[in-house]
Amino acid sequence: MSQEEPTLPDDEDDKRLMALVAEGDDDALRLLVHRHHARLVGYLRGEVGSQATAEELAMEVFIRLHRAAARWRPEAKLSTYLIHIAHNLVLNEWRRRGRKPTTALEFAAEPGDTTQQSARRVAELDEAFQRAIAQLPPEQRTAILMVVQQELPYEDIAEIMGVPVSSVKTWIHRARSRLRELLKDFYGNE
Amino acid sequence: MDNPHHKTFDQALAAALSRGRSVAVTGFADRVVVAVRADRRRRIVIRWSSVATAAAACLVAILTLSAPSEEALNRQTLALVARDESAQFADLLGASADLSLLSPAVEKSSVAEVLNAPGS
Repeated sequence: MSQEEPTLPDDEDDKRLMALVAEGDDDALRLLVHRHHARLVGYLRGEVGSQATAEELAMEVFIRLHRAAARWRPEAKLSTYLIHIAHNLVLNEWRRRGRKPTTALEFAAEPGDTTQQSARRVAELDEAFQRAIAQLPPEQRTAILMVVQQELPYEDIAEIMGVPVSSVKTWIHRARSRLRELLKDFYGNE
Repeated sequence: MDNPHHKTFDQALAAALSRGRSVAVTGFADRVVVAVRADRRRRIVIRWSSVATAAAACLVAILTLSAPSEEALNRQTLALVARDESAQFADLLGASADLSLLSPAVEKSSVAEVLNAPGS
């Protein structure tokens, strides 16, 4: 696993690749997966708090995409369509588990030089954020991940979640407030 | 590197989430292609199973519809019963039972002798 940032997929290329995937071209599918999987896994890991589960769900997203390739109409960006499928799978996963996902990350400060200490602080803060996000109600977590992490517009998030834009804005506002409260030890009262 | 504690909350939230935004997995595309091929094969098997089931149902329907009517079956049954000697013997026994009911004084053994007598 690596943390590389892939180049932003081009919509026209996605359309062309999807047409080939619909004809059963596995090389086109491989290319499409290569272009989109990193962001998808990143989103799913934020949702379920587990790398293994995120990869399993991402795999299922692409299997479903392949099944639907012949019927797919390029009305929305493919990346948004993938997040839409992923969100539905996350909802199923929560129902199957019968509980909300939680992360159990452990971290401890260790003595070292200034640079290492700073890097440790970043890691410590990331983990603190992940734990705080895992404690959010599902709708708030999904909304904040989609808007801050995936940089999706409110309209797309509303469509994916099947709710009005006003609900999305409310959830994001509540999520920020709750996260501030959970992370007050790091940030105090700003 | 900036001390994250000095950032505003919103900047830190965006930074923390953007670091997990993209998680490339080595060999993931190949794994997906293998899984998709397996799924494709599974769906072909399911599709042919459905076709086979439908064909079997059609065959059963054809056999059922081309079978003799109920009236014809009744006629066949009556003809078989008419040819059945055991049924005739049962009729005789039924007659002997009737006789015994109507004439209680007559002994059953004597009725049997009459029936078994030559020329009866």
